[in-house]
Amino acid sequence: MAEISEAPDSDSSKLFGSDSKAPQRPDSEPEFDPKLMRKTKPGLKRLFLTFSVLFSFLLGFPFLWKSVEIYRSPLPFREIDSLSTQLRSDTLLFPLHFHALFVGFDSDPDRLRWSILSEITKLTSQNPKCSDNYTLSVTVDLGSRCLRGRTSSPHSSSYQCGSVTGGDFVQNDDVAVDERLASVFGGKNNEYSMAVVKGVSERAVVGKYRHAWMVVGDGSDVEMAVVKVAEVLIKVFINGGREEGLIRNEFMPVGADGKIVLSFNLLNADPHDWVYDWDFEKIDDTLLTPMIEALGPVANISVESQVLYHTPKASFSYWNQKLESYVFSTKDLPFFVNSNEWHLDTSIAAGGRSKILQFAVYVPSAKECPLLLQLPNGEISKTNGFISPDLENMFEVFIGQFRQLFGFKSLNVYTGASGDWNLLPSERGFTEWELDVLSRQHTCFNLHSCATTLGSLSRLVQSLPRMIIKDEIGKQVKLSLEAAKLALSNASSGVYESSAASSSQARSLAEDAFFHPSIMSVSYYSFEHCFAVYSPFFLPVSMHVVLAALRELRRYKQEKAKYLAWKAKANTAT
Amino acid sequence: METFINPKSLFHLLLLPCLLLYSSIAYNSSPVEAAMHTNNWAVLVCTSRFWFNYRHMANTLSLYRTVKRLGIPDERIILMLADDMACNTRNKYPAQVFNNENHRLNLYGDNVEVDYRGYEVTVENFLRVLTGRHETAVPRSKRLLSDEGSHILLYMTGHGGDEFLKFQDSEELQSHDLADAVKQMKEKHRFKELLIMVDTCQAATLFNQLQSPGVLAIGSSMKGENSYSHHLDSDVGVSVVDRFTYYTLAFFERLNIYDNASLSSLFSSYNPSLLMSTAYYRKDLYKRRLEEVPVTNFFGSVMETIHTDAAYKALSRRNSGRFEDEMSLDQSVHHIERRMLIKVNDGYEIHDINPEGEEGASKCPWSTFRNKFQKAENVDSLVNYGLVAMIPLLVISTWLVQ
Repeated sequence: MAEISEAPDSDSSKLFGSDSKAPQRPDSEPEFDPKLMRKTKPGLKRLFLTFSVLFSFLLGFPFLWKSVEIYRSPLPFREIDSLSTQLRSDTLLFPLHFHALFVGFDSDPDRLRWSILSEITKLTSQNPKCSDNYTLSVTVDLGSRCLRGRTSSPHSSSYQCGSVTGGDFVQNDDVAVDERLASVFGGKNNEYSMAVVKGVSERAVVGKYRHAWMVVGDGSDVEMAVVKVAEVLIKVFINGGREEGLIRNEFMPVGADGKIVLSFNLLNADPHDWVYDWDFEKIDDTLLTPMIEALGPVANISVESQVLYHTPKASFSYWNQKLESYVFSTKDLPFFVNSNEWHLDTSIAAGGRSKILQFAVYVPSAKECPLLLQLPNGEISKTNGFISPDLENMFEVFIGQFRQLFGFKSLNVYTGASGDWNLLPSERGFTEWELDVLSRQHTCFNLHSCATTLGSLSRLVQSLPRMIIKDEIGKQVKLSLEAAKLALSNASSGVYESSAASSSQARSLAEDAFFHPSIMSVSYYSFEHCFAVYSPFFLPVSMHVVLAALRELRRYKQEKAKYLAWKAKANTAT
Repeated sequence: METFINPKSLFHLLLLPCLLLYSSIAYNSSPVEAAMHTNNWAVLVCTSRFWFNYRHMANTLSLYRTVKRLGIPDERIILMLADDMACNTRNKYPAQVFNNENHRLNLYGDNVEVDYRGYEVTVENFLRVLTGRHETAVPRSKRLLSDEGSHILLYMTGHGGDEFLKFQDSEELQSHDLADAVKQMKEKHRFKELLIMVDTCQAATLFNQLQSPGVLAIGSSMKGENSYSHHLDSDVGVSVVDRFTYYTLAFFERLNIYDNASLSSLFSSYNPSLLMSTAYYRKDLYKRRLEEVPVTNFFGSVMETIHTDAAYKALSRRNSGRFEDEMSLDQSVHHIERRMLIKVNDGYEIHDINPEGEEGASKCPWSTFRNKFQKAENVDSLVNYGLVAMIPLLVISTWLVQ
C-alpha cells in the first residue's frame, strides 16, 4: 500500500522533476518534501472500503450469536419454588367432618363433644406431611326430641330426629343395618357418622359406607363409649386401620405414570400330569371390574392374564406323613419364584413407568401334589394351598393380597385398644371410607412427589445453562403445576376423588418432564465445542479485517498529517 | 456475703435450657427416615468389541452367571455386551464362551439374556439406562426400573485410561459424565446404595469425580497402572479372563446363597502381587462399615416375603350360587390341539377353550371340510391340500394337450 501511495507522489515528483527544466519558479514556493507532505487531501475511499467490511462483520455478529443460541423453553422456576414451599410450610389439610349420634342416652351433647375431642387429641399423632382438619358435631336423640350440640363447622346436620331407634339394631344382620343407616346418614364425601345406641347385645361394626355403629349394653357408661368412638374415628376412618399413615416410596403400588398393570398368571408345572386353564374373562367381569372402577381416582388399572406351561419351581418340598402332603416352609419362599423358567415379565401393555403387580397361581406336578405352605409358627397356611380348584376362593386371596399392597388388612375385625370392631367388607374390594383414606394418602404422596420432581428438574436445568430444553418439557411442567394447584384446591374443599386424580396427573406429568429423553448431558454443546467449531474460520478472518481497518486508519492519519504539514508550510510561506 | 447468682452459675443455668432446646430442635428436624432395602439390581457392561477382547466378554458373562446364581433374576439384570464372541466366526467352540483354559464352565450356556447387544452399547444408551431417560418405545426389559430401596451393582470392563473408559473403540465415557449420571440418579432416588466395580487399566480414576452419598467404588488398578489378563487359552487363542475378575470369581465360587461373607473380606482378598496392580476402593461416600455389609447385599438377592393372612371374603356372600366357574381340567387328550389353538391366538390374550371333540360330528362332508378349513390353523397343511388338489388338474391338462 505504501508503495502505491508513494507512486503518485513519485510520479508527481517526476512531473515536477520534468518541469524543473522549465523556467525557475520564484523562491516564494516553499520546499516540498514528498515524504512528509502531500499537496492533495487524502481520499476517503480506501478507509470507507475497509471500514465498511469491518462494519458488516460487526453488523453480522448479533445474527451469528442468535443462530448459535441454545433454545431453552422458559420454565416457570418461581412457580415451582412456590409450590414446594407451599407444600412444605403449610401442611396439606384435608377437611373432615365427624358426626356422632347417641340414641337412648341422656347426656349433654356439648359435654360429650368435649370429651370426644379430648380423646381424639390424645390419639392423633403428628403427621408432618399431611394432616386432617376435622370438625365434630354431636347429636343426642332422646326419641321425642333431639339435642344438638354446638358445632364449629358450617355443616348443618341433615339428621332427622327419630330416624334411628334402638329397634333397628335388634336383629343381628349387619348388612341390613348398614343399608338402613346409609339411607339415614347420607354419607357425603367427607362426612363420617357414628351411631351409639343402647341395646341388648354389645356389638361394634364399621359399615361399608361412611358410618359405623356401636350397640352398648344397658349397664355400660357413656365414657367408655366416648373412648371407643374416638378410637374408631381416628384409627379407622382417618388412618384406615394401620398404624402409620405414611406411604413409603418403595412400597408405593402405583407407578409413576399413575398406572398399575395387574398380571395374573396360571402356572402349570408339569403339563404331562395335568393341564389347568381358567375362564378369565368371566372373572374379570364379575370380580375385578367393580374393584378397578372403585380405584379409578387413585390409579388407572389394567388387567392382563396368561397361562404358562412347564414352569417348575426352584425350591424343594418334603413329604410330611402326618399331613399327608408335601410341605415347604416360608424360608424357601424367596426361592420359590423360579425366574429362569417363569416368564412372568412379558407384558406389552405396561409402559416404562407403570408398576406391574404379578399374581401367580402355581399348579404343582403330580410328584408334589398336594403342596402346602408351612408358616414359621408351624401352622399350615390357609390362604396358600387349595386342594380343589375354586376360582372364587383364589380370587378372594388375590384381592386380599392386593389390599395388602395398599396397606389394608383383610381380616374382618379391627382390634383396637379399647375393643374390637367388625369391619364389613364390600363387593368392590374396598369400602367407601377405605377409598377415602386411599385418596387422601395418595393425594398427599403424589403432591409431594410432584413438588420434589419439579424442584429437581429446575435445579438440573439451571445447573446446565447450555442444555436445550424443548417446548414439550415446558408444556408438561406448566400442566403439572396446574394439576397440582387444582388438586390442592380440591383437597382443601374436601373433594377427595378429583383431588386424587389431579394429583396423580400432576405427578405423572412431572415425571414425564423430568425423564424426557432429550435431557441428556452428552448431547448438549459445551462452550468449548462451540468455540472449537467456529474459531477456525472466524478468528483468522476477523484478525485480517481488523488489522486492515487499523492499518488503513493509520495510513489515513499519516496522509492527513502530511497534508496538513504542507498546508501549514504553504500558509507560512505566503 | 456472696451473691448466689454469679456469672458462672448464670451461664450454667442458661446453658441447660439451651441444650434441651437444641436437642428438641435436633429431634424435630431429623431427616426423613431412610428407605428400606427392597431389591437388588445389576448393570453389567462390556464395552469392547473385536475378537482379541474376548476376555472382557468372558469377564462380564462370568459376573452375570455369579449374580444369577446368587439370586438376582434376569428381570433385574441389565447385560450390555458390545460384541458377540460366542457366535463369532473365529470362535473354535461355537456358542460357547469360557473363562478358564480348562473349559469346565460354559458361560454362554442356557438362560443368557442380553439386553443391549453389539452397536446398541453406546455411551448415550449407557447413560440413558442409568438416568432412566429412555424414549417411550423402549421396552421394560431394557430399563433400569430401580427405586428408592434398590441396591445396584454396576460392573464395567473394557479398555480404559485416565478418567475415561473406551466404548466400542470409537467413543469415551468420561469420569465427569459418570459422576453426573450418578448424581442425577441420587437426585431422583433411583438407588439406595450403589457399588461400582471397574476392571480396566487405571480404573480408579473413573470414579474420581463422584460426589453422591451411598456410593462405593472399587477399581482394579490405580492411576498409572495397567490391569492385566490372567492367562492365555492356547486352544481358543486369546486371553480368556482378567486378573481382577478372576480373583473376584474365585471369591464367589466359595460362597453359596445362604452365606454372609462381608464386603471387607471381598476387598481384602485382592492380593496386589497376584493382580499385578493395586485394587483401590473408595468408601468415603459410603456410610456403613464394610465389615457389616454382606456381599449378598449387592451380588445376590434374598427377598423378604410377607404372608397374606386372610382372604377378603366379600364375594362369596354375593356370588354364592351365581358364580360357579371352576378351572377346567382337561386331562383327557387333545393336548396337541389345545396347544395349537393357543399358539394361534396371541399369547397374552385369554380365550375360551372349547373342547375340541364336542362339535357335533356332522355327517355332511362339505361342512366337515368347511370346519376343517376354518380350523386349519396350520398353514402348511393348507398348502399341502392345495398342492394335492392341483395334481389332478395337472394330469387332466397334460392329457388334454396331448
